[in-house]
Amino acid sequence: MKQLITLEVNGEVHELAVEKDATLLKVLRDQLGLNGPKRGCDSGGCGCCTVHVDGKAVYSCMCYALSYDGAKVTTAEGLSSGPDLHPLQESFIEAGAVQCGYCTCGMMMSAKQLLDDNPHPDEEEIRRGISGNLCRCTGYAKIVEAVKLASER
Amino acid sequence: MKNLNVVGQSVERPDAYDKVTGGKGYPVNVRLPGMLHGKMLRSPYAHARIVSIDASRAEKLPGVKAVLLPRDVPQVKFTPVFFVPVQAPSMVLDFDVMNGETVRYVGQPVAAVAATTPEIAEAALDLIDVEYETLPAVFDPEEAMQDGAPQLHADAPNNVAKNPSFQFGDLEKGFEEADYVFEGVYQTQRVHTCYMEPRVCVVDMDRRDNVTIHVSTQHVFGTREKLAFALGIPESKVKVVKAPYIGGGFGGKLELTAMEPVAALLSKKCGRPVRIEQTRHEDFITTTRNPIKMYLKTGVKKDGTFTARYARSILDCGAHATHGSEVIMVHGAFGIFFNYHAPHQKWEGYTVYTNNMIGGGYRGYGAPQGSFAVESQIDEICAKLNLDPIEMRLKNARKQGEPHPFNPAFTLATYGLEECLRQGADKMNWPAARSAPRQEGTKKRGFGLAVHPVWVSGCMGFPDIYEHSGAIVKINRDGTADLATAAMDIGSGQITTLCQIAAEELGLPAGAVRMSSQVDTDTVPFDAPTHASRVTYSAGNAVKAAAAAAKKRLLEVAATIMEVSPEDLEVCHGRVSVKGVPDKSVTVAAVAQRAESPFVQMTAEGPKPTTMEEKGTIIGVASQAPKSNPSPCAAQFVEVEVDTETGEVKVLHAVYAHDIGRVINPKAAEGQVEGGFQQGLGYALMENIQFDGETGACLTSDFLDYKIPTALEMPRRMDTLFIETDEPTGPFGAKSLGECCVITPAPAIANAIYDAIGVRFTTLPITPERVLAGLGKL
Amino acid sequence: MALPNLKDFHRPGTIEEALALLGKDEETLVVSGGTFLHGLEARGLLSGVEALVDIRRLGLDTVSDGPDGIAAGATATFTQLQAVVAAKSAAWLGGLSDALEYPPVQVRNTATLGGCVAASCPFFDVPTALVALDAQVNIRSAEGERQIPLPELFFSLFANTLEPGEFVTGLFIPQATGKAAGAFVKLEGNANDLAIVNAAVQLTVGPGRVCTDARVALGGGVADTVVRSPAAEAILVGSELDAATLRAAGEAVAADIEPLSDHRASAGYRQATAKVMARRALERAVARLA
Repeated sequence: MKQLITLEVNGEVHELAVEKDATLLKVLRDQLGLNGPKRGCDSGGCGCCTVHVDGKAVYSCMCYALSYDGAKVTTAEGLSSGPDLHPLQESFIEAGAVQCGYCTCGMMMSAKQLLDDNPHPDEEEIRRGISGNLCRCTGYAKIVEAVKLASER
Repeated sequence: MKNLNVVGQSVERPDAYDKVTGGKGYPVNVRLPGMLHGKMLRSPYAHARIVSIDASRAEKLPGVKAVLLPRDVPQVKFTPVFFVPVQAPSMVLDFDVMNGETVRYVGQPVAAVAATTPEIAEAALDLIDVEYETLPAVFDPEEAMQDGAPQLHADAPNNVAKNPSFQFGDLEKGFEEADYVFEGVYQTQRVHTCYMEPRVCVVDMDRRDNVTIHVSTQHVFGTREKLAFALGIPESKVKVVKAPYIGGGFGGKLELTAMEPVAALLSKKCGRPVRIEQTRHEDFITTTRNPIKMYLKTGVKKDGTFTARYARSILDCGAHATHGSEVIMVHGAFGIFFNYHAPHQKWEGYTVYTNNMIGGGYRGYGAPQGSFAVESQIDEICAKLNLDPIEMRLKNARKQGEPHPFNPAFTLATYGLEECLRQGADKMNWPAARSAPRQEGTKKRGFGLAVHPVWVSGCMGFPDIYEHSGAIVKINRDGTADLATAAMDIGSGQITTLCQIAAEELGLPAGAVRMSSQVDTDTVPFDAPTHASRVTYSAGNAVKAAAAAAKKRLLEVAATIMEVSPEDLEVCHGRVSVKGVPDKSVTVAAVAQRAESPFVQMTAEGPKPTTMEEKGTIIGVASQAPKSNPSPCAAQFVEVEVDTETGEVKVLHAVYAHDIGRVINPKAAEGQVEGGFQQGLGYALMENIQFDGETGACLTSDFLDYKIPTALEMPRRMDTLFIETDEPTGPFGAKSLGECCVITPAPAIANAIYDAIGVRFTTLPITPERVLAGLGKL
Repeated sequence: MALPNLKDFHRPGTIEEALALLGKDEETLVVSGGTFLHGLEARGLLSGVEALVDIRRLGLDTVSDGPDGIAAGATATFTQLQAVVAAKSAAWLGGLSDALEYPPVQVRNTATLGGCVAASCPFFDVPTALVALDAQVNIRSAEGERQIPLPELFFSLFANTLEPGEFVTGLFIPQATGKAAGAFVKLEGNANDLAIVNAAVQLTVGPGRVCTDARVALGGGVADTVVRSPAAEAILVGSELDAATLRAAGEAVAADIEPLSDHRASAGYRQATAKVMARRALERAVARLA
């Protein structure tokens, strides 16, 4: 039997009936139709599913949805609204940090956590800040550059 | 080289905006009304006979809508490889979707279920009772070749699926002429492409066999051909929807697997669309880069000139040959045989069946394996004979203007290998760095290089491989253009590059050409896959031709407006003007509006006919094979630091110089090279799919157990150099890039490790444990 | 992946409720951050689980710094502990600070202190650091509360010594006395990895820089659980912590470990590098004593 939870996702409140073993990722993708959090491994290894819960970056594939009743969730879709993009979204485009793009949303959410905690990180701090996110296309160079660029804005 | 307006600029990727705001275009996001979820039951045994399958308990589980057993699946054999015809004579035709008699690897699908949720489908799998009779299994290809080894396929004595060879000259004579002979055995491992988007498809198949499939694939037409064959229906019944983009491929989504036909047949049974999304574990055991063991023997003169080369390569293709039929050929040709001049050469390849998982395509396609052997051995030769590794390579390398080694009908018209080596060496400060005193202590630094001398820009000239490309270019009334092609963007920027080529040819500004995101195999011309480093060159040429055809029509219509001859017109920055008279011009938009305006137009003086000849959408279509197969080339330099107490190796600096012809988009090209290095570094130092030696079960099927480099393992300095040449057969002088940049990191790193600690590693990956053992500390 | 036999997901609001749920005759697991459970679930190892008890509403999510030491609730995250450790900026917490740096931010924000010790997983980093700090574990059952030294919680690989009906409610890290410093180092396959080998040390010196107390802990497959190295500690105590002593202490850990072989590394490799890791952790700690 499903259980009811409330989630505030990107500023919108949802009442959801979720399976007991459903992960936050599954609820965000399959019940709310979001595309930003992506499933790459389902075991906390790739970071494609990274979202913010109450302002903290987490692997949404490792969170039981029922544990997060009442939480505020931000996905890449919630990074910006209106015509202007978030500085990270802008800098990822500008630096050429997006290739296949499958890691991009999770990567930006980790980068956002980093910049929230440390607005002017150096290269080593940036690399450590995104070390929980795998990218197979870029070799990370342009992602590091993008985060640096965003930190200067 | 001629200055161009759009080509050569790092224009923004048109797909990037979509991807940073959520990325709705991936096939993994396709959700259809009424969609069911499929799961496959996989064999737990490496080799077994299926005695019986009983699915009656599974069928009764609430939520289960259909169960698929081998008897429901057409029992046909074919090659699932996308880039060759499904019954290509040069391939081994041994693949089947769901074999009802024998399983040959752990993970082979034996049944499938469609249910209302993936969880119910998964639970139903546990209720399918399969009785197996286990058979002896063999996991080592050389053991599999021995008499008395378990035979995996009836028509492959000693488990040899394919045994090609190349030869010229007189090998014996060549070795007699040598001052020195070097011999080595080099072993490469099984690695995964690790695309981030899993294999996924959503298939709708009706009772009249009309199939529509959304799938994460590198080739929509290959999917159509192989899926139709597997289902036993005409090709035209299958519509493959081209996704705007997919989440990576790297060669890993270049063949049909059981997933697509299984989803189709389940869909037909249920009358509803069926989605199958593989787990990461399933992806890890679906395809890999084939491991190859190479026995390499080289005769050289004192000055380093090759006199003779002999190589034997044993490729472990796993349970079915699939890509192993072709990887062995590309490996022999471009990994070993044609790289350098040698007057006397022989190569023999063996594609060998084992009870391991099936091999597949992966960026480089046999060349990274060959390069590891060849470039490592050259380094051994240089060390022993005290030769300069740059000059030694140049002495044996091909030169610009020579015939193409693989197909003498083509020429190496552009070939910047020497400049790659010289400029790369400068950037690394090579002579000074190599001769500087090394810091002592427990960490030792070293420098290494490797080159990849000959590679491809597509497959033109290869037997049985599709090569042609097609494109449709349509000019809109607002002065923009739409481009439609079947060429997939797998992440490497094909959309961007092709739009730039079209814009350049049409004389439109960057950004004025848009790649159509809503096409399928019904609506666009055939294109070969996004593989073999071919899209910029081959698809680029077709796009350029389609744009040229549209431009021709554009100038004809403009000529009627301007009352001049079309030959006197040119188009630039979105305006058509009379050559030499820039003031006399009209906009492309005005011309397109005129072409699509009503024939009879109402004016103050009443209805007035216009010119019939100018009417009709301005459109250009092309479908063609490229003219040649020019070779890109590359030189790679690395600096490493070896921790002699733990065996850990860090790459501190990498310099990668490429001749890829003219660079269409520098930033995108740099991204390819930097990403290629990540894959090469992983191959060199850490990646390895491992199996239980007894059962054949995969031990490393997630990212906790299968390690790929994160941002912290990558070098802090990466310098990417492009030695631009102007390839006469390429679109605006371009050749190719996709794979060249993934081939040389492993030997370059191995050579640098040797330079640092004096230990030669001939087995990949060079793990900390192997390094410590090599240092005699274990 | 899923939990096919899961019947209940409980979210008790009080410790009493939680204890009542744990006392039921069901295949029950406690969920805290959930990162470890998901790892097991993804490998199909939790298919028998019938009930999950989420303990994150019990008010056990605080970290407090007092005169006797740091008290952390079972559901406090690594990030929370990291903030307290960073604020103290003390050499004696150097090992814990090092260890908390290793997991990626997503894990630090989710994984909890109770979870990471109850998992009894020798490949984790934070437990090794906690053993070197002589951390105590608070355990609750219907009968009451007990406190045990952390190593006593570890029974073997992925098996703890908790009795049925018990669960971890928190940890206590005693305040160091005297001049003390700690350090932690790790050997890993990439930056998001379990430890192949890790080592945490804690050193206290008296007058003349003579070592008065030493704790050397090793994890990451050097044994079924995180272990201490009495042999190394014996060499250190009473010494002046010179290079030769640190080297000898590093070599000595070999006597106290029984490494595993798996697809990540052989026992021989772990044996060889455990000595190096122990010595490097000691060197790092000694540098912090300066």
